[in-house]
Amino acid sequence: MQQPIPEAKMTQSLSLSRRGFLKVAGAVTAGLIVPLAYAVEATTPAGLVEITDWVRIDASGKTVIGLSQCEVGQGVYTGLPQVLADELDAEWSDVSVEFVTGRDAYRMSAAYEPPQQFVGASMSMTMLFQRLRTAGAQARDALTQAGAARLGVRATQCHTSEGRVIHSATGRSVSYGEVAADAAHLRLDPNPHLKSNNQRTFIGQNMKRLDTPMKVNGSAVFGIDVQVPGMLVGAARMAPAYTGKILSVRNQAQILARPGVHAVVIGTTWPKPVPNTVIVVADSYWIAKQAVDALELEIDPGPGIHVDSKKIHEQRMAAMDDDKAIVASRIGNTRAIFDANPGKMIEARYHTPYIVHASMEPVVATVHVRDNDIEVWGPIQGQDMVRETLSRAYKMAPEKVTVHTNFLGGSFGRKYVPDFVLHAAQASKAVGRPVKVIRSREGDIQHGFYRPGVSARMRAVLGKDGYPTALHARVVGQSLYGMIKQDKMAAAGGWDETMVEAIYDLAYSVPNLTVDAIDIKQPIPVSFMRSVGSTSSVFFLESFINELADQAGIDAYRYRRKLLAHDKLALAVLDKTAVAAGWDKPLPKNRHRGFAFNLYTGRGGAFETYVAMAVEIESGKNGIRVKRVVCGVDAGTAINPGLIKANIEGGIGFALTNTFKSEITFAEGAAVQSNFHDYPLLTLAEMPHIDVVIVNSDRPPQGCGEVALAPVAPAVASAIFKASKRRLRSMPLKLDQA
Amino acid sequence: MEFILNRRPTTFNGDEQTPLLWVIRESAGLTGTKYGCGIGMCGACTVHVDGEQMRSCSVPVSSVEGRSVTTIEGLSSDTSHPVQLAWIKLDVPQCGYCQSGMIMAATALLKKYPKPSDAQIDEQMSNLCRCATYHRIREAIHAAANS
Repeated sequence: MQQPIPEAKMTQSLSLSRRGFLKVAGAVTAGLIVPLAYAVEATTPAGLVEITDWVRIDASGKTVIGLSQCEVGQGVYTGLPQVLADELDAEWSDVSVEFVTGRDAYRMSAAYEPPQQFVGASMSMTMLFQRLRTAGAQARDALTQAGAARLGVRATQCHTSEGRVIHSATGRSVSYGEVAADAAHLRLDPNPHLKSNNQRTFIGQNMKRLDTPMKVNGSAVFGIDVQVPGMLVGAARMAPAYTGKILSVRNQAQILARPGVHAVVIGTTWPKPVPNTVIVVADSYWIAKQAVDALELEIDPGPGIHVDSKKIHEQRMAAMDDDKAIVASRIGNTRAIFDANPGKMIEARYHTPYIVHASMEPVVATVHVRDNDIEVWGPIQGQDMVRETLSRAYKMAPEKVTVHTNFLGGSFGRKYVPDFVLHAAQASKAVGRPVKVIRSREGDIQHGFYRPGVSARMRAVLGKDGYPTALHARVVGQSLYGMIKQDKMAAAGGWDETMVEAIYDLAYSVPNLTVDAIDIKQPIPVSFMRSVGSTSSVFFLESFINELADQAGIDAYRYRRKLLAHDKLALAVLDKTAVAAGWDKPLPKNRHRGFAFNLYTGRGGAFETYVAMAVEIESGKNGIRVKRVVCGVDAGTAINPGLIKANIEGGIGFALTNTFKSEITFAEGAAVQSNFHDYPLLTLAEMPHIDVVIVNSDRPPQGCGEVALAPVAPAVASAIFKASKRRLRSMPLKLDQA
Repeated sequence: MEFILNRRPTTFNGDEQTPLLWVIRESAGLTGTKYGCGIGMCGACTVHVDGEQMRSCSVPVSSVEGRSVTTIEGLSSDTSHPVQLAWIKLDVPQCGYCQSGMIMAATALLKKYPKPSDAQIDEQMSNLCRCATYHRIREAIHAAANS
């Protein structure tokens, strides 16, 4: 849909010159103003009829599969419709996908959250696999009944294939499109017959991503690309310190007098409505951005002004030996083993920094707050989170809030937090028009919801055979749940599972185990970030396991084999990874290997994905380079091996940024880093060769979006030790210390 | 001021210090070109100016007066450019946000080096991808070069 904007409302415009226009015959219709293309949420085009909550078909056979899960790059835009289309026996070339919202069918109970529509914790495929198969089978059955009636035969005499209902005996057939309107009236079987594994057509296949073409020609509409009629654009500036408040805007009159500026709005943050933001609303982003940069603000930094990274580190070190740690797991008697082996205890301390998501698309949203309802467009990871938040803020029923989902230019957890949506709502409320508020990169990095940095003290005693008889892991630092899930933390007895992930529920066989944690409160906003706490805790655990293996003089892969001898799935992944890596093959002198393992348990025990990783580094004149990563993964039934591979590859690249580069530091209560010059990302030149080995077990589909991250740093650190005999125990790993 | 945008003569009558990126996105409504950092570091805003790659967030629109600007939308009318086809063949994008800029950088690279070596790709492709699709980008550049 295209709609011209009246020239009078624009303070700047772009036009085709008259002379040039005459030369470009027929290229444009008329006028001097290039119209803006509106990307309004598609409503059901005429002719599509709804068969189920998930399936709409038109007379031509066009099949629109609803997608409740946002696409952040993980591939649900293809993988989930693939599951439904398999049961539906759809013609794949007829399938298209649309984001859907607002019904219970699209909500899931996962990760301790109340039922809601959201993406998180790598749950989408695990949680929706059966639901989408059922929906596909229900639609297929309804179409079969309608088709059989049209053919004048019984449904039991028909089968379906490639979007057609076929009378098996004669081969006579009708298309789904021809009978969709009839099928729409039929009652759905709550327990339809599902296909057996050998009847599957799309599940297990490398279906090409449905969103690739629109992502290579610029037509995919991301949150930042949304344009709605009458829309204005806002830029935001926030009090630097996390406890800061805006007291006044000293030059408000001058700012409002600027051409194209509509309003100066005081906005609040989330979850507490602290007035820490000023939003300038203008005709265009550039006008808004210049105005917001020119604001003269009076700011109270609040008590958080004293927060800085050096102090945070000192607090962690001081707490490390505090015996008030809350116990998360205790098996046997670790202390007795330590006491019985004086001088034999091995100890190492590790540290990770605060890091930020830094998705390529900063946080951005478009909201229209009207008298009786609210409409939201954007890169939204938690549709019901947004709905609830706005419903409370504007005292309207949740049903009055409609959340349209656009493509997300990355998220990694960040766009579940609704702070940026509130800003757009506050701006819209102030001007009575839809407003898109674009956070600058600086605002995105300095006002993130960070993965907290933590420290660990790892202790062990080895038995005569070199394997640990006792292991004590203590993790200290700012607890994520201590900030955002205090109920969950209290229910667990005061400890936060994200601080000790993969340690409190240790996969390895160790007879005496103590895992405890200490929460050190900080006024720094924190939230979920891809792989959550495991990017710290698995670095601690796997680095320490590698140190113990070295101490015992046992190969890192075989050390884990012994510790996982009880778990056949783990052994299969370890072995296949070692074989693919050529683990026992000699390397040139300048090459070194490292190994790590991760049993990634989905939040609330929703799934278990096994990952083993072998990395190969090269040391030379220009320092150390990661050359190759081999990753074995058992994520159960591989719905689309190509998508799993992409998730693993991307996860490894993401984790290499964490491993070598990422660190947010704080001074005067605010983040020091602000953009990619001081918060750099991995570059193409630094990307290693990656081999993914999919170990396809017959378990149901397990999560795969986050599982490959955590083993990267400990495997790399181990390889660096082999190359340099230096233990790097702090992330990011500093190669000049190697 | 006047310039050529995707082969169309175009006049912009706003503040000539406006970064080219925001003129392309907001005034022309061509949103395939993305904002990523605003300081020319990430390359999500990469376009061609007279055939050379340019990070459009960091140049005022006045700098392209009389010159020819091509965005991802102008690369081909039907997604048929060899680089686009290679990207589709290898399913390069994940979130996809950086890929317009990547493709514009890759097409500029291939113009300079029709059969680039890995070292040339390393040196020339400095755009950032948070999903780390880099290895597929490399493969796709080689595939496009050989197509």
